[in-house]
Amino acid sequence: MSIAINKLTKTYHADSEFPVHAVQNVDLEINSGEFVAVMGPSGSGKTTLLNLIGGIDTPSSGSVMIDGKDIAELNERQLIGFRRDHVGFIFQDYSLLPVLTALENVEFVMQLQGLSSAECRRRATELLTKVGLAAQMHKVPAKLSGGQQQRVAVARALAPRPRFVMADEPTANLDAQSTAELLDIMQQLNSEEGTTFIFSTHDQRVIKRAKRVIVFEDGQLKQDQCQ
Amino acid sequence: MVSARVEGHSRTSRLLLIIKLAWRNLWRNRLRTGIMLACMVFGLMGVVTMMGFMTGMYANMIDNAISWQTSHLQISQRHYLQDPDINYVITDPNPIVTALSDSSAVKGFSSRVLVDGMVASARASRGVKIVGVDPEAEAVISPIDSHMSDGSWLTLEGRKPIVVSAKTASRLKLMLGSKVVLTFTNTNKDVTGAAFRVQGIFASPSSEFDESHVYVRDEDLRAAAGVQGIHQIAVLLNSADNFERSQVEQIKAALQAVSDPADEVRDWPQIQPLLATLIGQMATSNAVVLVVFVSAMGFGIINIMLMAVFERTREFGVLMAVGMEKGQIFALIVSESALLGAVGALLGIVASSVLMAVLQSTGISLGNMAAGLGAFGVDTMLYPQVSLATYQWVFVAVMVVSVLAAMYPARQILKQRPVQAMSEKH
Ligand SMILES: Nc1ncnc2c1ncn2[C@@H]1O[C@H](COP(=O)(O)OP(=O)(O)O)[C@@H](O)[C@H]1O
Ligand SMILES: [Mg+2]
Repeated sequence: MSIAINKLTKTYHADSEFPVHAVQNVDLEINSGEFVAVMGPSGSGKTTLLNLIGGIDTPSSGSVMIDGKDIAELNERQLIGFRRDHVGFIFQDYSLLPVLTALENVEFVMQLQGLSSAECRRRATELLTKVGLAAQMHKVPAKLSGGQQQRVAVARALAPRPRFVMADEPTANLDAQSTAELLDIMQQLNSEEGTTFIFSTHDQRVIKRAKRVIVFEDGQLKQDQCQ
Repeated sequence: MVSARVEGHSRTSRLLLIIKLAWRNLWRNRLRTGIMLACMVFGLMGVVTMMGFMTGMYANMIDNAISWQTSHLQISQRHYLQDPDINYVITDPNPIVTALSDSSAVKGFSSRVLVDGMVASARASRGVKIVGVDPEAEAVISPIDSHMSDGSWLTLEGRKPIVVSAKTASRLKLMLGSKVVLTFTNTNKDVTGAAFRVQGIFASPSSEFDESHVYVRDEDLRAAAGVQGIHQIAVLLNSADNFERSQVEQIKAALQAVSDPADEVRDWPQIQPLLATLIGQMATSNAVVLVVFVSAMGFGIINIMLMAVFERTREFGVLMAVGMEKGQIFALIVSESALLGAVGALLGIVASSVLMAVLQSTGISLGNMAAGLGAFGVDTMLYPQVSLATYQWVFVAVMVVSVLAAMYPARQILKQRPVQAMSEKH
């Protein structure tokens, strides 16, 4: 499975008179199983790029091809299905549902997919154990630390066995130790489950762990290197 | 087949998931939900009490009119109904009396001789309907024997006793033992009269009825007026719900079938059509009260659902991002509102029925108003009356409004796309 981005452009015409070119003319290819960091200063277009690839935003021009198919051609229902079944999202603020326990949060998307409750329970327990939260499964997010919540978010993102995971500054709110732990977990899942990880960051510690680093500036791709 | 069943099963489990989420979301802001529930509970208690007393008052009016005036059914000759001439007696009472005696639904019936005339004392006179009855039979179908303010109800012994109302007694300055003269036209169209002695004084809830009726024994009236037959048979049924006409109509049809075609059986709504329209009036006024209340409640729900939905814009964006369909998000918001409505309605109904149980045992005294209401035939103590159907209507109305109230907030959220929703700061 591969992601092929072609002359991707996103321009915002917000309230200001000047259009903002959040992403400009980007060409990029990401292959299955990669562990990619997108770095760049704040406002450089990282979030916009991830949203476009994940199908929660639509490009102004250019295309995002998943396995050779342009996601712009999906209708709204298909797009929702695409996100639910193939994309995992991890957000800077964790964005767990506050009324559900860690376990229920992880089960949630699988339940939306219509998996049996036994299957949901089995997979959620397995993932929470992998991220080291076997003892915290029945706690609601408010009872967990930031690092623990983000690990729940990782488990939630991976639960429906997505083809790739979009993580927008997943460690921005975490301390050094939690950051290291989270990266260990993401790398482990990347190799164990073969899931593609694409994450944005401006944290040097995170960049060091990535196999491939893409540098963004003013919406443009400045550098793309493997390390 | 199998996959359809699996699909159906997972659809149910997804719905359960949404309802679980909605239920937990409802209690996220306990204070806000609690305040709204308190509004609903107190509002419903007020509404149910109002409807209960309104229904109680109408029911009381109808019950009083039936027990004192119309009974459930009356049989008379058709001509008598057009023109109450003393000679228009029931053509053939025998099959009717037999049918009534055999029916287990009939509590009692009274055969009456009715004559329009004047009652006169030494001081004054008034036009009245003179009702000649068998004292025992009349006491079964009418509460009159237990509503004597002075003296006693008619008895079989004694010479020409008469029972008059307290109103008539005071107008004519009568006391127990006073002599009155009844004047009327006999069967030969001659004016004639007879003297009676006051044996008892009664008071019914209706001042109008009291002013216009006096009671004597049927044999005394027959002798004085020269009447052979009876003018009217009044029938009281055992357990008739007076808001429910079907039982009465059924028995009416059965009686009409055995009667002579010249005699007519009428049920109470036919005898007093105005009384029957009260039931419709009551339903209308109850509906108005309910609609006003649920409308106010609906705006309250719209308000708190708007707050609840807009403070969670980003969360809905995340739900859309992770693959929740718009229909599912819509269902989530509607479920939250519906659950709020259901909890409010159930608590409100429980609280109302407790309040009703208390008021039904204490009653509410109308005090000074009672004199005025006497004209409408209402008792001085009122007891609220709330049927199961009323509670069901309240529940349905609250649920419908709760669901409708969620539409606007839900549509506001669904207009947004996930990125927009997520970029909203909270
Ligand atoms: N919804 C939006 N409306 C208008 N401008 C936006 C919107 N989202 C992002 N932008 C602008 O696009 C640019 C790139 O933003 P973003 O992708 O969030 O960058 P980053 O994630 O690297 O900080 C910024 O200048 C930002 O102000
Ligand atoms: Mg960003």
